[in-house]
Amino acid sequence: MGEDTAGARGLLGGRPAVAASSTVLEVQGLAKAFGPTQALRDCSLELRAGEVHALMGENGSGKSTLVKILSGVHRPDAGEITIGGEQLRHLTSPRDSAAVGVFTVFQEILVAAQQSVLANIWMGSDGVLRRRLSPSERVSRARESLDRLITVRDLDQAADRLTLSDRQAVCIARVLVRAPRILILDEATSALDVATRDNLFTILRDLCAEGVGVLFISHRMDEVEEIADRVTVLRSGETVATRERGEATPRELVALMTGSEHAPEAMHQAGNAETRVRSTIALRAAAVRLREDRAPIDVEIHPGELIGLAGLEGHGQDQFLRVLAGARPVSGGVFCTVHEAEHQLRSAGDARARGVAYVPRDRRRESIFESRSILENFQLATVHVDRRRRMVRRAPALARFEHYAEVLRIRAGHRSNPVTSLSGGNQQKVVIARWLAMKPRVLLLNDPTRGVDAGTKRDIYRVLSEAAADGVAVVMLSTEVIELIELMDRVLVFREDQLFADLPRAQLTRNRLVASYFGHDES
Amino acid sequence: MTQRVLSIARQRPAGFAVVLAIALIIANIAAQPTFADPSQIPPTLGTLAPFAIAGMASTPAFLAGGGGIDLSIAPLMGFVNIILVTQLFGTSLGKPEFAIPILLAMGAAIGAINGVMIARLRYPPVIATLGTFFVLSGVDLDLVPDPVTASNNWTNSLAGSVGPIPGALLTVGIPLLLWLGLRRTAFVESLLAVGDHDATAFSAGVKVNSVRITAYTLGGLLAAVGGIALTGLIQSADASVFNDYILVALAAVALGGTNLAGGRGGLFASMTGAVCIFLLENLLTSLHASAYAIQFAYGAVLLVAVLFGAKLFNRPAVAA
Repeated sequence: MGEDTAGARGLLGGRPAVAASSTVLEVQGLAKAFGPTQALRDCSLELRAGEVHALMGENGSGKSTLVKILSGVHRPDAGEITIGGEQLRHLTSPRDSAAVGVFTVFQEILVAAQQSVLANIWMGSDGVLRRRLSPSERVSRARESLDRLITVRDLDQAADRLTLSDRQAVCIARVLVRAPRILILDEATSALDVATRDNLFTILRDLCAEGVGVLFISHRMDEVEEIADRVTVLRSGETVATRERGEATPRELVALMTGSEHAPEAMHQAGNAETRVRSTIALRAAAVRLREDRAPIDVEIHPGELIGLAGLEGHGQDQFLRVLAGARPVSGGVFCTVHEAEHQLRSAGDARARGVAYVPRDRRRESIFESRSILENFQLATVHVDRRRRMVRRAPALARFEHYAEVLRIRAGHRSNPVTSLSGGNQQKVVIARWLAMKPRVLLLNDPTRGVDAGTKRDIYRVLSEAAADGVAVVMLSTEVIELIELMDRVLVFREDQLFADLPRAQLTRNRLVASYFGHDES
Repeated sequence: MTQRVLSIARQRPAGFAVVLAIALIIANIAAQPTFADPSQIPPTLGTLAPFAIAGMASTPAFLAGGGGIDLSIAPLMGFVNIILVTQLFGTSLGKPEFAIPILLAMGAAIGAINGVMIARLRYPPVIATLGTFFVLSGVDLDLVPDPVTASNNWTNSLAGSVGPIPGALLTVGIPLLLWLGLRRTAFVESLLAVGDHDATAFSAGVKVNSVRITAYTLGGLLAAVGGIALTGLIQSADASVFNDYILVALAAVALGGTNLAGGRGGLFASMTGAVCIFLLENLLTSLHASAYAIQFAYGAVLLVAVLFGAKLFNRPAVAA
């Protein structure tokens, strides 16, 4: 996409001024890959001055990638960005984006907790030494923006003394004081309390009246209906459609997000769930809260059951899976049944000792030892059985590994080769083999098929089904709708850090599932 | 009530050190009445100065966060001391109006090299500054294998009195004034923001790398001031004397209440911390405590102070 800047300017010179003033941001054919994952394929979007433009899509649709490109965090591989009539190849940093008037509020609450509210509001607006404003101006302008959102008496107090909602309001005030031309709110409302959110919506309407373009991302259908003038739907990194306000029903938006063409892959579900799933309980979450102000979660997990955990990214499903694996919840507890006696899990080590195995999400950081061999990586969870008089024997581990290598179809060279000599998919299989070899009662997996090829996925599905048929309770967090509906006996949908829906297999459809991600009940 | 005391203490990171310093001054006077004698004050401050400056010079690296630490401060002070005594004194550049800018520029340049290695080349700060530490130690030893006595020179008065005022007030005061000046600019605020949470600072548009490089440059500049104060005190070039300052400088920063993970603290805090350690040593020496007991006391005070700081700042995180 070689874009000659001079040529682009020449082209723009001939453009009518009206077009430049009514469209503040135009994105054409944007693409971005992270390794083998194509996060954005062909994304196009037009943001007009004075509109709130909502962006919707399920996990992995590319919303976040688009936002990060526009805010200067990522560089696109291809495509064009036109801001205020000027074509830019890419934005190199958030500071660079700010210079052209693009300001973003992210879902993660980005405050420097030990610094004052005032310092947090003005963060990034000065040079390394130079201050742009006098101290009194700083205070009065910060007040102006913050007071419209929340009531904070003391601007000098440290940001960590504020509630979560107020901290997010500080992040919003940070962009408001900078007079944005384009304002991006990436799930920025999810931490806000209702009053603050209403105040924000009032501010957004005022900004629109002044000609600011707002790109609004939210997981709440009601918010989108309330504030958005137009909605653009992304699916698998591509722009699917843009609809005017009132033109699309929530049902239609869900259909656009999921896609009507629905080609199920060959996935097999092992045996009949009625005979496979036993009535006893393998693991039980009792009154688990992921946040103090959230409803408690009670879930019973039976031997032989395949359970999916789902929801939009960051809605508590990941945290819940870690709690099942022995991490401490805010309140409540997880109980594991061993030989008909219940034990409360107290730590990850305790969970493992009671037969609860956990395959983490981040392979490189949480499960693979990159400098060790394939066999050593495999042997980790079962090394105690290879021990004889303080010595670790290699032969039984090798025999055990061969068994799982065959079951999982691990394609590996010599077993002493470093684990990094394997492809990502085969590394993931080694990790799963490690925990299967432990013969767990409960197998927990955190998005095990992320970033692995289709063949590996099929092998993983098959092995999980077989494990379930053998009576293992399998709980898998997944960001792929298709595997949830094809593989699982039931799916627990999380929303805003609580359990939103418990969908049995009979009710698992693509639209039903995605609708519940957005808090919309299709039944 | 407790909440109020805590909130005051949280706003004043050096609070614990200030209270401790006052108590130690009283204890010192009680143990040794000549301690407060006006004629004793300039030399006492002269002994304190290099140590207090070493603590201050070590501070910006910690404030910058990201595992920031500058281990090369002490050998850099030694290097400045050696260059001043062996290369500048006795030449036309030995006069203060030439020597001081040269040495400050040199210190700042070495600090900037540390900063570039850390911020741009992504060296872990411990490794980058440990490398600089060894390089400078080697150069120091090569330049003066054996201590060289300095001829009569202007630094002598820095360890005593310049006119009516103790010279140490100049050497310690200049870094503090510089810091006060920087607090009026955007730099200190950006530095604390970067040290507190660099991802937040970056996304807000702070030039994280430039801020970090400036922090290490400032550390190097202050180390040069420390080297000059050190020369005033020892009146010789010595490649081993800086060893005394390596660890106590870091202890002074911690005791002063600066958060070693970044985001909180400052030069006043580190100076107060250094004063505490100095007074503690002075007190124990005048009580004829053994070197062993002094070391023990350093350790105990440091652990108590850091525990106090940790209790103050490490509140349970709000679940996100």
